Amino acid sequence: MNARIRNATAAAAVFLALCAVPFLFGKFAVYLTIRIMLLGIFAVGYNLLLGQTGLLSFGHGAFYAAGAYGLGLFGARFSTDPLLGVAAGVVAAVLLALLVGYICVRHTEIYFAMLTLACGMMAFSFFWNAREITGGDDGLIGIMRAPVSLFGAVKMPIGKDEQFYFFVLFFFALSVWAAHRIRRSPFGLALAGIRENARRSEFAGVPVRRYRLAVFVLSGAFAGLAGSLEALLESNARPFMAHWTHSAEPVLVSLLGGLSSLTGPLVGGAIFVAMREIIQRFTENWMLGFGIVLLVIIMGFRGGVVGTLSVLFRKAAAPREG
Amino acid sequence: MSAPLLSTRKLSNHFGMVCTARDLDLSFEQGVLTSIIGPNGAGKSTLINLLTGYLPVQAGKIIFQGRDITRLPIHRRVRMGICRSFQIVNVFPELTVAQNVMIPVLARTGRAWRPIRRLSRETALMRETEAMLAKVGLLAERDTPATALSHGDLRLLEVGVALAAAPTLLFLDEPTAGMNPVERVRLLDNIRELAREGRTTFVVVEHDMDVVFSLSERIIVLHRGEILCDGTPESVRADAKVREVYLGDDVTDLFRYREEE
Repeated sequence: MNARIRNATAAAAVFLALCAVPFLFGKFAVYLTIRIMLLGIFAVGYNLLLGQTGLLSFGHGAFYAAGAYGLGLFGARFSTDPLLGVAAGVVAAVLLALLVGYICVRHTEIYFAMLTLACGMMAFSFFWNAREITGGDDGLIGIMRAPVSLFGAVKMPIGKDEQFYFFVLFFFALSVWAAHRIRRSPFGLALAGIRENARRSEFAGVPVRRYRLAVFVLSGAFAGLAGSLEALLESNARPFMAHWTHSAEPVLVSLLGGLSSLTGPLVGGAIFVAMREIIQRFTENWMLGFGIVLLVIIMGFRGGVVGTLSVLFRKAAAPREG
Repeated sequence: MSAPLLSTRKLSNHFGMVCTARDLDLSFEQGVLTSIIGPNGAGKSTLINLLTGYLPVQAGKIIFQGRDITRLPIHRRVRMGICRSFQIVNVFPELTVAQNVMIPVLARTGRAWRPIRRLSRETALMRETEAMLAKVGLLAERDTPATALSHGDLRLLEVGVALAAAPTLLFLDEPTAGMNPVERVRLLDNIRELAREGRTTFVVVEHDMDVVFSLSERIIVLHRGEILCDGTPESVRADAKVREVYLGDDVTDLFRYREEE
């Protein structure tokens, strides 16, 4: 129970600090924090698949892109309401994830990873080539940030980044909370069982394939949410969102922060975005710097940043308790 | 006699040229504690693997409670009431002892689909888990990760995970392998008691003849994928063909046991 109170307090403190960002810092920090939260949503959902269930996908960029294109196309044809648009983006991602997942979850390990990669590349080339629908290599441009209206009554503008920030923060908090609950739920335990021993899970009566599909679609929904929010942030949807290099981002971020915790991918995402945006200002070769950091972490600190810190923390606390 | 719990018709299996099950017609009756014995390579594990879905059936049929389950996937068979433990410990290594037992309970009750509910609020699950851990004698280790258990405790957990699925028919593949005598007696007492309760019918594969003859009501002797002998412990012990096959280490076991009686 003690640990639960401590975690809740820490979460509340981070949330308040995030609320304060637009009031304390300038435009760039606000933009950077939005990017961190977007990658956070993407990675925290993705880690339900990788960290919790032990499935490595290289195709989640496709669902991210489906979210962005879903919102963009829905906005162009039906309504520019951002909440409806986000919902449309998530639905698009879920549908695509169902299709891709149905094919991929029949296999595991390297075969699963390669199938997701193949499906992701097919999605990329669809977005790239279906010019009439997706705008081809230009993508969808000029996506608007219309005001949020709740039942047509209250209208909240999100046109400025400082306003949009809170829109993103809402979904970020929701995603982190949902991922937290999923990890500690009966469903989460069944997923951990599949990661630990898929064969035994079947002999425990768990329909393993169906659970794999469920978590695949679920993580696809998180990706779609992040993608639709990015479409609103950048006012466009680009085919490169579905590119495999983008699919690799949540993998790298989860490894960087640590696979076995909720906070791992969040911390990893923050480091990743900060490094990219800051180093990029000085040199084109930011990947070189990031590569070195990743190398050190994977070779020296297997648990990632969060895993390593929590081990150090426990070591520091142990003598006092004993 | 009532209809058997499970029966097979001409069940066969080959690994290349090696025949591990040849036209097996077997049936298991409700409540009869049965052992399957036979020399190495006799097809004991293959038989369990076929019946529980671990291996696909190449030829023949399996009927469970009147339903053809020959092609059913593993998890469906488990939900119908057929479960097993493994010869080599096969649990969820990084999960705690309690979590290991929770997974089959959740799957059986259909609660594993709940994605938002807190695990700790599942009071019925917690109660059932603790009862199961008490039954196999692992309550003190409930929060220990499975990897940190001793070999004997792991074997107990292996059986506990299988029992937690509340099977009607449970196959135990060498449940006492590598156990010390104290643990072995404890586990066998457990099996006997559970068998007497009558909810689960046990079928045990064993190498240890003391265990086999003290535990079973019926013994099936397999040899090269065929049934060599099938009957009460007394009739099996008296069977000339069985003695012939068991020339070697085990024959002395068989005779020693008889002399001690």
